[in-house]
Amino acid sequence: MAYAYLFKYIIIGDTGVGKSCLLLQFTDKRFQPVHDLTIGVEFGARMITIDGKQIKLQIWDTAGQESFRSITRSYYRGAAGALLVYDITRRDTFNHLTTWLEDARQHSNSNMVIMLIGNKSDLESRREVKKEEGEAFAREHGLIFMETSAKTASNVEEAFINTAKEIYEKIQEGVFDINNEANGIKIGPQHPTTNSTLTGSQGGQQAGGGCC
Amino acid sequence: MSDSEAAAEKQDPSPAETPGYSTDVAPTRKARRRPDAVPVAEAEERPKVEEQLPKTSSDSTVAQGGWGYWGSWGKSILSTATATVATVGQGLTQVIEKAETSLGIPSPTELSAQVEEEHKQQAEASSETDKATGDGPSAIGGAMGMLTSLSSVVQSTGKTVITGGLDALEFIGKKTMDVIAEGDPGFKKTKGLMIRNSTLSQVLREAKEREELQTAETESSDSEKKVVAHYGMLFDEFQGLSHLEALEILSRESESKVKSVLTTLSGDELVQLRDELENIKEAFSLVEFDDEEVEEKKDGTEFDRELMKALEGLSVSTTADKLNKVSRKTVRRFARVFSVVSVLRIQFPVVHILIFLYMSSPLFLHSCVFVCAKSHQEVHAAAIRSLAELTARSIELFHKLAEMILFSGGRTETSALSQLTVVLCKEISLLSKKFTSCLTTAGSTEKGDVLNPLITGVFLEASNSASYIQDAFQLLMPILEISHIQRRAEPTQQ
Repeated sequence: MAYAYLFKYIIIGDTGVGKSCLLLQFTDKRFQPVHDLTIGVEFGARMITIDGKQIKLQIWDTAGQESFRSITRSYYRGAAGALLVYDITRRDTFNHLTTWLEDARQHSNSNMVIMLIGNKSDLESRREVKKEEGEAFAREHGLIFMETSAKTASNVEEAFINTAKEIYEKIQEGVFDINNEANGIKIGPQHPTTNSTLTGSQGGQQAGGGCC
Repeated sequence: MSDSEAAAEKQDPSPAETPGYSTDVAPTRKARRRPDAVPVAEAEERPKVEEQLPKTSSDSTVAQGGWGYWGSWGKSILSTATATVATVGQGLTQVIEKAETSLGIPSPTELSAQVEEEHKQQAEASSETDKATGDGPSAIGGAMGMLTSLSSVVQSTGKTVITGGLDALEFIGKKTMDVIAEGDPGFKKTKGLMIRNSTLSQVLREAKEREELQTAETESSDSEKKVVAHYGMLFDEFQGLSHLEALEILSRESESKVKSVLTTLSGDELVQLRDELENIKEAFSLVEFDDEEVEEKKDGTEFDRELMKALEGLSVSTTADKLNKVSRKTVRRFARVFSVVSVLRIQFPVVHILIFLYMSSPLFLHSCVFVCAKSHQEVHAAAIRSLAELTARSIELFHKLAEMILFSGGRTETSALSQLTVVLCKEISLLSKKFTSCLTTAGSTEKGDVLNPLITGVFLEASNSASYIQDAFQLLMPILEISHIQRRAEPTQQ
């Protein structure tokens, strides 16, 4: 289906925190308790609607294993959004966030919207990281924060969609140059009928302001 | 031979209307490298270039029949450094050969009359060329030479002809003439048509977007929309584009790493490494396989053995155990698609393992439906879908291989990779042949102008598919290079 924008996402974080499960829940609306180890990167895509516009999310689900880091880093570039995931039942996955964040900031564009996700919120009894700690970390580093459960689907939609909303707002504000694909944003195929209002290819930025 | 010539001459109702083109293009004919062009070229040339006949027809006897078309095509493409560029160049060469075709347009079935003569298995039909219309395999054979030539040109001209038919050929023919008219005998400029600064995934993405646009446009008016298959959209749906993009990233990064390593070396060390890298490069550019051999290997038995051999060669080379497991998963997913092909060829016993894995997949049901389908549109849609999926899975396989090579640092034989590429391309062509054969059967009551564009479309996409696979193969080269460099730097590890 035609879309107004395409956003590239990456999902990063330690191995076993539920990155692939979050993706599966988001794209297929199902939960798979046992997942094969992700090699390099796998993909998912889904269409969402923001502000009446169809937006296609193209999601790059990276391998969490340390040994894959040199490969997966290559995939960060050109992402508009990142989901940085930790496991609320494993303190070490929270402790590694700083490294992940540095890595992400270093290998991607500076405007990338990062959503911090504390996953496995259904396992309250085994919680090792308080929600407040996640919130504090996010505040400190300028991230959006959310606790999710890929198992119960709680907040999964919201995590992906809120990230997209943030990106969309940045486009409206002109922070993102949507004509530069290195920002992880692509403009969808434009309909000839709407071309007159969107003023063709070179008027991309004006179009953003123009229609609001 | 003379029978077939006579037959074809009788068949061709439209001698050249534009002799000017013929003189323009004559020199380039000699440059052609793909024997598959011959049958079609003959058909067009005959009416006016009689004196060239003896030479070309003797060529064609060698090239005719079975999968020599694709075999030799694959060979010539693989023997050049960059598949895409080569394809464009060759594509154009052949489009020129077919300039008259695109203006005079003999239908695939007409062309088949002549091909048929030379097909051993269809010898009995040779005296009834009139009845050739509607005969699947031969029609396909004739169309093949013409259609394979168009693949990349379609991409590069920027006009979507994904579902187009013969008028697309016409467009391309004219477009090509324009290019030639610019005075570019070496075709250097035309190679640039492939949009020099864009990557394959970009080209594909653009094509897909055009399709999306078209789909959206026709949505309201066309109720048959659901049976219309768009290759690019499907390719993307199967994540082919994403895997390609990721593979391109890895390839680019590896390339720049190789370059920077080379700048740090000097003297003998540099010379030695250069030599070693040259060997890898050569392995990529000198991929060949015997044409005649290909013709003999028409049956599935041989193919399945080849595929298994190629895959085995690869999995042996990956060191880490768990990687092997995951690679098997990819291979399995991919093997499912392969077995569609095998189902089509009714080679059940040979590929029982693949079939077993595949039985549970929705695609299997899909292909069953199509086999019994009555509607030729459905067959066409299934064909495009299968091609898109097989290609996307192939690209995925190459991408996963790239990641594993980089990750494991294990030794990977280029020959296994090239063998895989060759096998995949052959399979694409077999798939398309089977589908078009089905298509001819399903649409036997339809007129040629309904059926021919559909057949054309299938071959067009098959040809594109093979190009993408070959391009993906080329993307692996820098990855093998950097992997080689890393391995020699740490001889004690691994």
